[in-house]
Amino acid sequence: MPESLAGAPVEAPAVTPTTESSVVSHAPGHADGNAPGYAPVLLTDSYDPAVVEAAAQLGGWHVDVRPARDLAAAVARVPDARAVIVTTDNPNALRDVFDHARRSGVAVVVGCVDETMRRRAAELRADDWYRVPASADEIVARVRTATARAAPTGAVLVDRIERAEYEQMLYDARTGLPTLPVAIERSRALIKERGEVVVLYLNFVRYSKLEEIYGWEKLDAVLETTAEAVRDLLAGTALSASKALVSFTNDADMVLFHVPAPDRAAATDTEINELSQHLGTHIARRLEAAHGDEVAALCDIYIGVAHVYYNPKVRLERLIYRGIREAALAAKSVEERERAHKVADLRSSLRERLVYVDYHPIVEATTQRVFGYEALARGVMRSLRSPEVMFEVAAEADLLWELSRLCRARAIEDMQTRLKPDELLFLNVDPHDFADPEFSENDLSVDDPRRVVIEITERTAIKDYPKFRERLRAFRALGFRFAVDDAGSGYAGLGSIANLEPDFIKLDMSLINCIDTNFIKQNLVETMVRFANDQRAMVIAEGVERAEEFETVKSLGVHLVQGFFLHRPERPDGG
Amino acid sequence: MPDAQLPSILVVDDNYDNTEIIQRYLEARGYPVSVAHSGDEALSLLEQVRPSLVLLDVMMPGRDGWEVCRLMKSHPVLGRRLRVIMVTALDEWDDRRQALQTGADDYVAKPFDLPKLAITVERNAAMLTR
Repeated sequence: MPESLAGAPVEAPAVTPTTESSVVSHAPGHADGNAPGYAPVLLTDSYDPAVVEAAAQLGGWHVDVRPARDLAAAVARVPDARAVIVTTDNPNALRDVFDHARRSGVAVVVGCVDETMRRRAAELRADDWYRVPASADEIVARVRTATARAAPTGAVLVDRIERAEYEQMLYDARTGLPTLPVAIERSRALIKERGEVVVLYLNFVRYSKLEEIYGWEKLDAVLETTAEAVRDLLAGTALSASKALVSFTNDADMVLFHVPAPDRAAATDTEINELSQHLGTHIARRLEAAHGDEVAALCDIYIGVAHVYYNPKVRLERLIYRGIREAALAAKSVEERERAHKVADLRSSLRERLVYVDYHPIVEATTQRVFGYEALARGVMRSLRSPEVMFEVAAEADLLWELSRLCRARAIEDMQTRLKPDELLFLNVDPHDFADPEFSENDLSVDDPRRVVIEITERTAIKDYPKFRERLRAFRALGFRFAVDDAGSGYAGLGSIANLEPDFIKLDMSLINCIDTNFIKQNLVETMVRFANDQRAMVIAEGVERAEEFETVKSLGVHLVQGFFLHRPERPDGG
Repeated sequence: MPDAQLPSILVVDDNYDNTEIIQRYLEARGYPVSVAHSGDEALSLLEQVRPSLVLLDVMMPGRDGWEVCRLMKSHPVLGRRLRVIMVTALDEWDDRRQALQTGADDYVAKPFDLPKLAITVERNAAMLTR
């Protein structure tokens, strides 16, 4: 990464207090039980080996032994100091240690040789004390109670929280990118010198959809990949001289300031335009490599550009905010243009039936035998290859029913050739489709309705419940079966699922992602399996991508499994 | 020195009796334990103590456990190597959903069943080494 991309630290900034180089702890070895590079420090003026042993028992503390007269200064300066054991009988040195320890929130334990010392310790309000000599065990216990008591309160506490909050605001936790105020501060001098800054607004569309489908953990991971991809690409272009890359915390969009270094030429408009074009494909490639095609196809990136010229009469912040707004609007208009293209693409797709169906196998967890297939409709045209995008465009153009009809027809047409006679077809149907007069139990042209499972998503709210259930009954009478899709995605509990009397319960993907390390997810799935068994329904875990996830859901009693770990969706040509 | 290998635990509860019981119990099992009695105190101790596990009570005055969990998990450096166990009466479905939303890894039900607490701590400690 070139030096000029100063705003892009790979490792997020350390929020720990900076170490002053003059202070080195004299402890042997390294911390065992703590994060690498960190160990709490026990300061002391005691050369008692029991103190060293106590530190070891405390779980990797460092011991820092100093002469009594230096102890107070050390308390103030050693950044990781957590407790001090003081044994000196010099009242002034003792008082100094207390003063500094109170200010830095360090716990004080007094090792008392006699009753006078003990009284002094009490007067000075030591956090704890012990009688010298003491065993290591005793010292450990005293240090523990003392550190618990010395936890900061009042103003010190508020200070520390404010500092932590402040530092968290400067950088986006997930991407490690600086936030806007930091970026402006960093480029202030350069902007004045160059007199100009180019603002690029990177608008990432549908990242929120990603969160909705896969859960926030996935979106976080995708944001990281995106930030990395942007950084890498910029490093190789004329924009590598850019000063800062900024992300808005809690929002997917990014802003890039391009302020070339004094000895370098600014990127030309042509270069910037070329970059905008590359950026989209580059990010998509990286997303596909890291998170799969489904994710990559879902995300779109639109880039808007604005020029900001330095004006000494206007505050720089305002100039830059204005530039960002302008660039964001430009990005928006690019998006709208693209959208118009997509609507046109959809219309011709509907006319020419340019929709194909991927079949994603659903297998039995225990035998791994194929149980059925979920039909996933996709647009043949590149702009519509993601089903989410295709349906989103259809919703905006009021073509939802028409698109649904085409997708259903396609899935059923191919069913005869693609599925073995004992395999089921899982067909996605939006609750809105039940209002479509052309969608009824009799219009669905299947030879054997018992082989078709209609998947209804829990995400879309059902408006007219009694009517809806009546329709379900009509389908059911002919032998169709039902699955609740994305179960557990909302806060809606098991009651709303029970209402639909499903034959299958498909767990929301966000529950499966990393389920092997999250016990709450395991607990929720367990509850769901128990509930399903009571209802004589089968549970399907979808989005199983890793062996650990597979083993976990299997051990929780999930009946059926679907996901890249076992099978990718199968293309119509068998690929 | 097997004790040094056990992960450090930060126990957060506004009830002093609870923290004392838990601290004693876990320390007896060899875990290094630190204690905080409010969400703010827990947050301020996070960087100092750098716990591997946090036992976090949900119902606290001021910043509640959910908020503390969310903030801890979004710490740029420490957030990722930290496992948070919520201490709550999480019987309700949406409570558990909320726990997931804040990034919590596990929960133990209140009132306390100490052996169960130990099992929960152990299984989360086991995850740290993976």
